[in-house]
Amino acid sequence: MSSPGALVLVVEDEPQVRRFLRASLSSRGYRLLEATTAREARQLATSHNPDLFLLDLGLPDEDGVELTRDLRGWASAPIIVLSARGREEDKVKALDAGADDYLTKPFGVNELLARMRVALRHARAVPTEGALIEVGPLRVDSARREVTVDGVEVRLTPTEFKLLLLLARNAGKVLTHGMILREVWGPNATQAHYVRVQMAELRRKLEQDPARPRLLLTEVGVGYRLRDRWDD
Amino acid sequence: MIVAVTTVIATTVRELLHVPDVEMLFLLGVMLVAATSERGPSIAASILSVAAYDFFIVPPPFTLDVEDARYVLTFVMMLGVGVVISTLSLRVREQERAAAQLAEETRRAALRAQTEELRSSLLSSVSHDLRTPLAAITGAATTLRADPELPAETRRELVETVCDEAERLERLLGNLLDMTRLEAGAVEPKRDWVPLVEIVGAALTRLDLQLAGRALTAEIPEDLPLLLADPVLLEQLLTNVLENAARHTPPGSPIELSARVDGERVVVEVADRGPGIPPGAEETIFERFRKGRHSAGVGLGLAIARAIAVAHGGTLVAASREGGGAVFRFELPGGDSPPASERAEGA
Repeated sequence: MSSPGALVLVVEDEPQVRRFLRASLSSRGYRLLEATTAREARQLATSHNPDLFLLDLGLPDEDGVELTRDLRGWASAPIIVLSARGREEDKVKALDAGADDYLTKPFGVNELLARMRVALRHARAVPTEGALIEVGPLRVDSARREVTVDGVEVRLTPTEFKLLLLLARNAGKVLTHGMILREVWGPNATQAHYVRVQMAELRRKLEQDPARPRLLLTEVGVGYRLRDRWDD
Repeated sequence: MIVAVTTVIATTVRELLHVPDVEMLFLLGVMLVAATSERGPSIAASILSVAAYDFFIVPPPFTLDVEDARYVLTFVMMLGVGVVISTLSLRVREQERAAAQLAEETRRAALRAQTEELRSSLLSSVSHDLRTPLAAITGAATTLRADPELPAETRRELVETVCDEAERLERLLGNLLDMTRLEAGAVEPKRDWVPLVEIVGAALTRLDLQLAGRALTAEIPEDLPLLLADPVLLEQLLTNVLENAARHTPPGSPIELSARVDGERVVVEVADRGPGIPPGAEETIFERFRKGRHSAGVGLGLAIARAIAVAHGGTLVAASREGGGAVFRFELPGGDSPPASERAEGA
């Protein structure tokens, strides 16, 4: 399910990381553009219209979050940000600024490729309004507002359903607490623990063991992700 | 001031006492001044006392005349005693000040030495631990570069070595950073209301590989109150304790996690069926760079876990378990309840 030929703009100032990305991505059929500064990134993005951005948050000339916001303003290609460990706030900021996903350095190539596949698939997919969403044993029928696990119907409250539908429509993507709050509780909601409490309820109903979730994954300090492939 | 007060007292007392005894009161006043202020005010107080004594007390009262010549001697004595006392008390104060300064300097030097010692022990411990995986990576990578004819199996092993050791290096650096930041007090828990089950879930997901093949039970009551804690740090704490259990117990042996409310506190226990904790080591295992016998780690995991517990106003202790094994108990003070969840039912 790789995407041969997809044009990837790598924005990264460290040459070792660029070398590793060049080696691993070109051998899998991706075409690569490389920028070492935000300025270069803007120029290349404008002139080449890439299919995907791999963007390091620690750029020498500009805050990567700013660049993300700027790119998101006019480019529709998915943005995956690369950031150092322990900078959860940066990740949240980047995601809220419009990034599609993030990877924590150091990361393995398999993880990178998996995230790129998800991002590209989402970018190509037609909006899934009203469609049937299936992940492993989970089946969400948004038209009939029906949820089943292994064929057994699960009764959800309206809030739980709204939350699940949001996650399902963005399967494979991380949604921050802030995004979920705004989408489910409205623009004025600020209490992140509403999300956590509803999430715990949802897990109790959908997961075999809520303490070992297989579907509704927590990205600690960042948000949640509905697993999108059962045997990834 | 003091001279004036003394004079008032002395004038009143004069009626009751013999005249010469009153001068002692003035001396007391001079002493008080000398003991609490600099040399100038002390001498001024002495002179003022003599004058007041003369004016108010020595007959004839309310004049500076002196009837009896022996009072002149008393004046000189009073002045002399005043000056001597003020000089002496000043000297005592100076010595005190010098002693305090010396003590402060000694304390600082001791602290510096301690920090220095800590730093060098940290450095030597760390550089050894950093070098081991680095040596393995360098060895494996240069072998791969030098000999393209290696059998496939050997190549695979060397590549595995590079990956594993790089991962170890990353863990090590992460732990070191966490420890340093926690110790410097640079980490202020960003508390929020979190369900324990979510944190446990995240920790277990992170440890999926290390815990593979084990019976792991997590008993968390559904009505356990939300915890007021930093989710990232709390997950780190649980991960470290679980990882420690996985590392020090035979593969396949069970690990049991449980939680309960105990009075005002929430108690989380991680129990295993490994070799248990050697008697007397219940505290030392939480020290930095304290490694288990077969540990591949740096010996920071439990130290970090405890530092996180403490940063939350909680505790983390270890004990041997009845029937064999160890149990780590983490206690967190329960807070108030969170603001009620606004359910957007039907919205």
